[in-house]
Amino acid sequence: MKDQTDISGVSERREFLKGALAGAGTAVAAVSIPKAARGAESGTKTRYGMLIDVRRCIGCQACSVACKAEFDVPLGKTRSWVEYVEKGEYPNVSRSFLPRLCNHCEQPDCVDVCPTGATFKRDEDGIVVVDPDICIGCKYCIQACPYDVRFINPITGTADKCDFCLHRVSQGLVPACVESCIGDARIFGDLNDSHSEISKRLATNPVSVLRPGMGTEPNVYYIAADHADESDREKGQHVRVTTHREQEARR
Amino acid sequence: MATRREFLQLGAVTAVAGFAGAPALTAARELRFKGNKGFSPKTGEERKAIPSACWQCVTRCPFVGYVENQRLVSIGPQMNSIRTEGHLCAKGQAGVNQVYDPDRILYPLKRVGKRGEGQWKRVSWNEALTEVAARLEKLRDDGHPEKFMFHYGRMKASASKLIKSVFLATYGTKTIGNHTSICEGGKWTAQELTWGSHYDNWDIDNTRFVLNFGSNCLEAHTNHTPIAERLARALVDRDVRMVTFDVRLSNTAAKSTRWVPIKPGTDLAVVLAMCNVVMEEDLYRGEGENFLEFCKVTAHPDATVAEKVAVLKSHFAQYTPEWAEKISGVSADTIRSVAVEFATSKPACLLSYRGAVAHENGNDTERAVQTLAAITGNIDNPGGRCKAVGASWKYPHGPKDKPKAKKLKILDGFKGEAAFPTHHMSHHVLKMIKDGRAGRPDVYMWYCYEPVYANGAVSENIEVLKDESLIPYSVCVSPFYSESAALADLILPDATYLERWDWEDMVSPSQVAEYYLRQPMVAPLGEVRDFGDVCCELAERMGFPLGFNSKEEFVRESCEMTPGVKDVGGFEYMKAQGVWHDPKAKPKYYSYRKHVKLEALAGDGVILDDATGTYWNWHKSKAKSEEEAKKKGYAHTKNAYKGYVGQQIGTSTYSGFKPDKVNKSGYFEIYSSLMEEKGFPPLPTYTAVPSHETMRSNELILTTYKVNVQSHSRTQNCKWLTEIYHNNPGWINPETAAVLGIAEGDTIRVTSAIGEMETTAKVTPAVIPGIISVSHHCGHWEYGRYASGNKSPMASDDDPDLKRKWWVRNGVHPNWIIPNNPDPVNGQHCWMDTVVTVAKV
Amino acid sequence: MVAEIYWGLPVIFYLFLAGLGAGALTVSAYVYLRGNGGAFGEDHVTVARYGAFLAPIPVIFGCWLLIFELGSFQVGDWFKWINLYLVINLSPMSIGTWLLTLFIGTSLVYACTFVPFMPMLGLNREGLKRALAWVNVPLGISVAVYTGVLLGAMAARPFWNTPLVALLFLLSSLSTGTALILFARAMLPGKGADAAAKKGFHHSNYLLTFSDTLLIGFEIVAIFLFLIFAYLTVGDVRHAISVIMLGGSLAVPFWIGVVAIGLILPALAELYYVVPKLVYHREFAVPRSIELIVPAAVIVGGFMLRYVVVIAGQITGPIGI
Repeated sequence: MKDQTDISGVSERREFLKGALAGAGTAVAAVSIPKAARGAESGTKTRYGMLIDVRRCIGCQACSVACKAEFDVPLGKTRSWVEYVEKGEYPNVSRSFLPRLCNHCEQPDCVDVCPTGATFKRDEDGIVVVDPDICIGCKYCIQACPYDVRFINPITGTADKCDFCLHRVSQGLVPACVESCIGDARIFGDLNDSHSEISKRLATNPVSVLRPGMGTEPNVYYIAADHADESDREKGQHVRVTTHREQEARR
Repeated sequence: MATRREFLQLGAVTAVAGFAGAPALTAARELRFKGNKGFSPKTGEERKAIPSACWQCVTRCPFVGYVENQRLVSIGPQMNSIRTEGHLCAKGQAGVNQVYDPDRILYPLKRVGKRGEGQWKRVSWNEALTEVAARLEKLRDDGHPEKFMFHYGRMKASASKLIKSVFLATYGTKTIGNHTSICEGGKWTAQELTWGSHYDNWDIDNTRFVLNFGSNCLEAHTNHTPIAERLARALVDRDVRMVTFDVRLSNTAAKSTRWVPIKPGTDLAVVLAMCNVVMEEDLYRGEGENFLEFCKVTAHPDATVAEKVAVLKSHFAQYTPEWAEKISGVSADTIRSVAVEFATSKPACLLSYRGAVAHENGNDTERAVQTLAAITGNIDNPGGRCKAVGASWKYPHGPKDKPKAKKLKILDGFKGEAAFPTHHMSHHVLKMIKDGRAGRPDVYMWYCYEPVYANGAVSENIEVLKDESLIPYSVCVSPFYSESAALADLILPDATYLERWDWEDMVSPSQVAEYYLRQPMVAPLGEVRDFGDVCCELAERMGFPLGFNSKEEFVRESCEMTPGVKDVGGFEYMKAQGVWHDPKAKPKYYSYRKHVKLEALAGDGVILDDATGTYWNWHKSKAKSEEEAKKKGYAHTKNAYKGYVGQQIGTSTYSGFKPDKVNKSGYFEIYSSLMEEKGFPPLPTYTAVPSHETMRSNELILTTYKVNVQSHSRTQNCKWLTEIYHNNPGWINPETAAVLGIAEGDTIRVTSAIGEMETTAKVTPAVIPGIISVSHHCGHWEYGRYASGNKSPMASDDDPDLKRKWWVRNGVHPNWIIPNNPDPVNGQHCWMDTVVTVAKV
Repeated sequence: MVAEIYWGLPVIFYLFLAGLGAGALTVSAYVYLRGNGGAFGEDHVTVARYGAFLAPIPVIFGCWLLIFELGSFQVGDWFKWINLYLVINLSPMSIGTWLLTLFIGTSLVYACTFVPFMPMLGLNREGLKRALAWVNVPLGISVAVYTGVLLGAMAARPFWNTPLVALLFLLSSLSTGTALILFARAMLPGKGADAAAKKGFHHSNYLLTFSDTLLIGFEIVAIFLFLIFAYLTVGDVRHAISVIMLGGSLAVPFWIGVVAIGLILPALAELYYVVPKLVYHREFAVPRSIELIVPAAVIVGGFMLRYVVVIAGQITGPIGI
């Protein structure tokens, strides 16, 4: 059996880094990360993504709690959450739901700013992960993420966030939030496989991503997301965003 | 026997595609199919998967729990369940928190000092049970077993059978209270008056239109996840339209095609007006007209369909949409168009719940809803409002020679308060005890119930429970230190549902019964014991062993004797698989159309009641002789309904709508002679909520609601849920807020006839003007640190999240200011009728 | 709006202190290199000495604060920050780490060359000093610039996401570094009190003050550009800038702390003393209280600049979702 930590895809890197530390003759030795250390090379690359069909989301928070339980996420921190967006004037009012998680961006700014290489985008499947053994908790990635999905885990003192349930996905399961979703609103799969359910639905529906202007190219897509924000209030429209997090305001 | 196929050949319904056969897996579910497995994110090791069943709400979904190093770490959906189709809600998943709540009571606690003072000492189970058994034995030996009152909140399936049908029955008390009247007991009574045994299953999978009066089924329901996941799918995949009438934009209303705001307590007017539209515009023709054959619409059981139509047309003529608009605030055009859409979408499903029925006119609201479904032919049909289908377990019945049980008449409120309190009047039990005229229990024991918190008029509940002269001895069976537990003399620490055995039987929305099991995820913490096991020991101590020594044994024996379950492997199969359903079973519809066999009609004691056309077996009633039975007749013989055999309709005898709890005929009774005899209008008739008629201009109606991440009172200790929902400001429409000079976030005082509370204002267009809406769930003052901020006696500090709890406010509990008013017909608590004034502090 | 401040006072102090030290070192090395041939005359070594001795202190203290602020340090992984040295990548923080390390090394050795009794291990003291000064000018500027680039690199932080932040931090570093030297010289004027030395002292102070005035002038221009470009841009940046505009939650610390105390008042005071000499060639004479207060105000302003920028960047973000 493979080393169990292999499922997170970070062990090789970790060993590499430890080696560099042990052999630390000069800093130059560690100047560049060999590509191979970023993950095993394989024939066809997978690119995992998620499609959230907001029409089917009933705002039930099953995903939020599934995520809390799966990782025993400390109180006050959230890897996955559901925002409520209420807007309109009586009686023309709507409430829609916006499930949030890491977008596993194609251009992850969090990775670009990481000074230790602890956070990186896996070559083999595109999942953006954090290696808690390397991360020093400088919070730079937290600043860089336009989606506020990262936090310092108070137990490890390191950056933490959604990893698409890598430990489940590598065992053929779907992420915990997908499994429990009451409305089957979440489709998880390989964006590079044109026959995957997610690819089919992406091809046949109008979709959007969050904050496309950030240039991060998210891999989490939405059908029928309401992009209304409290900043729209300035236009005189009633909009109330409830994040259901300790962080009451959407950042 | 007429099968459904034969019935279809009769041509009585138009073909409905796609309802036959077992529920199909959706594409999305196939994507998730490799479930029922879990792995540690830290080590990658596979976690031990244990199938079991939830208890966070009454839906009781099957689930799979995951255990790592003898610790329950997560709970996920059961992929093989036909009820949930592999879904599990937030509450279910947060069940983990119930086991590891640092404020759990882990040892029997005995009060020291005054009752309610909060001083406790730990005692052994032996000491506790010796004390309880001594008191119970004395009562029994004195000939007053009824002075042992047992009051439960949620006790279902095997727990109910073991504790109520076996233990309490063998002991000899029938002073057994429940909580249904503070839930939706009124809805059930209205159903018993119309179609017999209660519970309406909504066949979302086959419907084409959903009309909803006051149900927030996407957030909370007695069959929440099974209904919600089907509804979410129907709305998108099948473009099913849904119209929701509600005073508030619930998440259900928000997901509906259309939200129609409606004044509280006026759903009845709108439903009656819809009946008017259906009759006036001849939309009853077809399925509705065919169904009328099975309906009682006049005093005469043998009226023709044409006569029935004439009566309905005439009765509903008064309820025009224009009339209803004035009462409800819903425009006549809306009522008309929705009524037409409902009546012409075949099949269509009619939903109703507490928003519509927890009012003083709730009984007729539900009867009108039943009527609207009936006259459009949407009763017990694919895609309509169906009779519930659940598992029928067999179980050991315990000692054969049970005494004739006695009871105190304190369960149904004061004499004459409600005409048909078929689900009791639990919110008046403490009041009855205070009154004392119907006697008082010497021992008051409650189980999975929060008498203080869950009923209205909280102060009075506290006053009675605290008073040792009213209740000499009280025992609380609970895993948690609730507001009620704090007032007990003895607390018996119950196992959580994750540490115990049960078989389960909740209604299946697929109309195919699901059998499922609850088994322990982990060994019980501390010294906690499942109360089922405690009952076995108490019975043993009092000299009437039940024939099994534990709930586990009871469940095992049940598995080995239940047809179907025993054939696939019984207990061991259920332990390994968790769920079972008969793969050959077809969804059950049109149960009332079964022909009754001639042999059954010729059975011993079976007689035909001419007045109702009902065949019944007088032996099963309280009648002493056939003569007496015939003389009194079916309707007026006590417990005659228990002998119901079939209903004569025309020249045939059908199984009909089997009565339950009242002597209703086998017809679907739109016209209720039982109501008539009690002085109520026999046909669904409009009455306004009296207190709403006399409101002053500065008064508002207080309504309550539930949210998706909390159950009513017993999940607030779950940190993952309470982190999401812990505060409940009062929702006020901007228009109303402007009149009252209230702004968002203002502290406001809400005053009713019995008290006042302070909360904050949430000014939102998502609620109708003229009301203030405050959710249940919040404002605990006990139940541990996550729920209330208060530490329970002898609680531990071993949860590192305790120091990370970041929310300070725990919200308010509206029940302090809601009086315990019963519906005059059925005794249901009128939760949504309270008139209040609201002022900025 | 309540936003979580991930980078609080320790980071703000660090950014300020790193800039202060970098500025002081740059000024010291620059003055030293200009040497006798420059306008400073004999006093250049004195000026350079002040800068050399002062520069490493705030930088080392700031780095210590930074380590203290690390999530890993706070849960008891005292030395996990060493992981920073396992990699060099294009993260501004990674580059900054190496720059700071180099900076601390060269600035300390540079300081040592100013200590007469420090053994030079056979090296040519003056040669070493000069070589290190050559290194320290670009290094100091790099550290000062890096503190701004660190913030500016993120699209998610529209307030920071402009090259002007780096420029502003550089100017502020040089200005506060100069002010630090002036402040220290006012506090500890040294021994040699003959007339020539005094004249040299005043002349140096004049040059430093004049330079500082110029730097403040550039800073004002940079801030003007920062505001005007943000204000003229539709979208995230204008939205972000609103927190320091009138009525914004940081308007007071910005306009009073940064602009008034840190820039306008010191600039006016400095001009008041510089202009007579500059234009009329009068004696440059500054009361001792002013000698202390003006650089102190510049230093406080430099801190306030870091404070306002770091907080403003975190309480604002992209608008819309």
